[in-house]
Amino acid sequence: MKLFLRISVFALLILLPTLNVVAQEPVTIEWWTVASEEFDEAVQRALVDQFNAEHTDIQVNMTLLPSDGYDERMQTTLGAGQGAPDVALFWNTNWYPQALDLTALIEADPDIDPEMYLPGFWNTRVVFNDQIIGLPLGVGANFVMYNKDMFDAAGVAYPEPDWTPEDYIAKVAELANPDARIWGGDRPRGPYRAIWYNMGARLYSDDSTTTEGYLNSAESVAAYQWLWDLVATNGTPTPADLEVLGTEGTGPVDLFLADRLAMATLNQGHMQNAIAANKRFGIVPEPQVPGNTRHVNAWSLTVSVWKGTEHPEEAYEWLSYWAGPVGQQFLMENGNLIPSIPSVLENWEAADTDYGQAFLSVLELEQVAAWDNKHPCKGTVLRAVSDAWDLVMLGEIERDAIQAMLDGLVPAADAALEECVGRLGG
Amino acid sequence: MSQSKRLTVADIQQMSSASAKRFRAKKWARYFAAYAVMTAIAIVFMIPLLWMFSTSLKSRSEIFAWPPSWIPEQPIWSNYAEAFNKYPLGRFMVNSFVLVLGNTMGELVAVPIIAYGFARLNFPFKRVLFVLMLSTMMIPGQIKLIPLYSIYNQLKLTNTYVPLILPSFFGNPFFIFLMVQYIRTIPRDLDEAARIDGAGTWTILYRIVLPLCKPVLAVMIVFTFLWVWNDFLQPLIYLSDFYTYPISVGLAFFQGRYSVEWNMFMAATLVSILPVLVLYFFAQRHLIGGIASLGLKG
Repeated sequence: MKLFLRISVFALLILLPTLNVVAQEPVTIEWWTVASEEFDEAVQRALVDQFNAEHTDIQVNMTLLPSDGYDERMQTTLGAGQGAPDVALFWNTNWYPQALDLTALIEADPDIDPEMYLPGFWNTRVVFNDQIIGLPLGVGANFVMYNKDMFDAAGVAYPEPDWTPEDYIAKVAELANPDARIWGGDRPRGPYRAIWYNMGARLYSDDSTTTEGYLNSAESVAAYQWLWDLVATNGTPTPADLEVLGTEGTGPVDLFLADRLAMATLNQGHMQNAIAANKRFGIVPEPQVPGNTRHVNAWSLTVSVWKGTEHPEEAYEWLSYWAGPVGQQFLMENGNLIPSIPSVLENWEAADTDYGQAFLSVLELEQVAAWDNKHPCKGTVLRAVSDAWDLVMLGEIERDAIQAMLDGLVPAADAALEECVGRLGG
Repeated sequence: MSQSKRLTVADIQQMSSASAKRFRAKKWARYFAAYAVMTAIAIVFMIPLLWMFSTSLKSRSEIFAWPPSWIPEQPIWSNYAEAFNKYPLGRFMVNSFVLVLGNTMGELVAVPIIAYGFARLNFPFKRVLFVLMLSTMMIPGQIKLIPLYSIYNQLKLTNTYVPLILPSFFGNPFFIFLMVQYIRTIPRDLDEAARIDGAGTWTILYRIVLPLCKPVLAVMIVFTFLWVWNDFLQPLIYLSDFYTYPISVGLAFFQGRYSVEWNMFMAATLVSILPVLVLYFFAQRHLIGGIASLGLKG
């Protein structure tokens, strides 16, 4: 009996550490991401390795998906209510309701503070229904990039940051050589974006009750007339050109890099393309009518924890590492991420360059999203008035008929607004 | 008839020789015209491939230069090496081959059995089941995606090749339909003769019917290869491990969030379509014969 007891105790002593190991088996967090100009596969894998080495209790399993296809994968798993990742890019606003409310976790985290992120990006990107549903990873913005070689060759002065929409048209006309298929500048992608706002135009009233006096206001008419003038220069690629070249949404940057487009509204990803191609370029904000507030279409990647996760705390641990100072610093130093945290952004190697300075100044402008996020019916109303855009873009309307056309579209726009507001519960 | 107008043997030989010459000339003219037209059409069809090849050797800024050039200023052959260094394209292609092989095996096992059943055997609700099976062709794949994903996820089969191969072992309705139609054209007398000689259903299927179905089997193999090789959505949904992706998903990595590296994308795509071209080259006789015998087009 004594021998049996001794053997039992001995066996227990041997097994105890094993049991301990079983109890401490690390939690695996599934993380979905994409490879992009800002962070490629190797950089992200290195970040995961660093995290896994520092956190023996949590192991992150990275799934790298192509950008084209990420939405389908997310929508399938979120739609199925299973198999979605613990942590992922939630860049589609339709997915926000499926994101975990992080408010309590962030409040309890001494390392993450909303104030540490660039102002403007927190409210527009991670606050949804008064809940914090993610963290803003990196920043992006649209700006006008100009090709210095093309300007020099044409003897045209570079645009200044305080330039106007009329300046833009004048430069387009000077730079273009349609016979050689060289364009001075590109056209806006749609109405009521930064340039429309820079001209003081709004689609409908702040209280979302009417489009009368907004869609057909003097400012809106002026914006459409400005587009009409731009089209009339024949100095921009036609919609057909951009449709063909822009199959993957890349037309303007390809023409820009081929020295066939002197000015284009591009973003920080395209800026990386231009740097890689050794292009001489400059950056200015989109033009603005003096006296109005200058706007920028800016964004940050919303990264979130899925509501269905079985390990919310561990998932948040990885999320805050990835989109917190450590992760953003790592992705900036080893990749091309432009961080959304000013204390990290200070160390951006391009911060002292001309284009870096210009990019940072663009980030300080009023965001288009500030108005747009409060007015979710904008898309619905825009669809109802898309004829105005199409007719001007195709050159199928006289300049002095624009006012009448917008007046005529007001009833349809009002109906669309009313329907949308009702559908969204007021 | 006067004697001077009578034809001599020499006249006839001369006429015959002239007629033969005219015939030969006409024949050559017809050949020449036919080949000229076919060559012109072939060139038109080859233009996208040639453009891909040209683009794959260009620098990024040269791709969109105006006027466009067919021959790169300085061919950059390293685009191919760079494309292969950037992503494990060889591995992706091997993965695609595995999927093709699995699916082809599945179809070859399942489709003849099911098709023979519908074409030759009698069982309750045969017509209803056949129509039901055909109706599944009308359901878009995207609609089935979420329920199928739920099933495979609950069975813990996601991130494996099972969801991508297993369905082929249950037969593809399109192939089943083709094969049913084809088997119906084979005289039943052959089955009956074999049965009189003591053959069972399996023997008739595998010894009598299947050897006569080579054209339709060739069509099945080639179509399965093409569909599986090019399928992007299903592998994207079910696979998570980067090194298990097929080439269709791997190629998509050349498209960034903001732009596409066209030169490397074209280099990778050109390499990825080589197996398809090789397959078509060797299988075209069977494929065209099969398509002709099945009355397929488009």
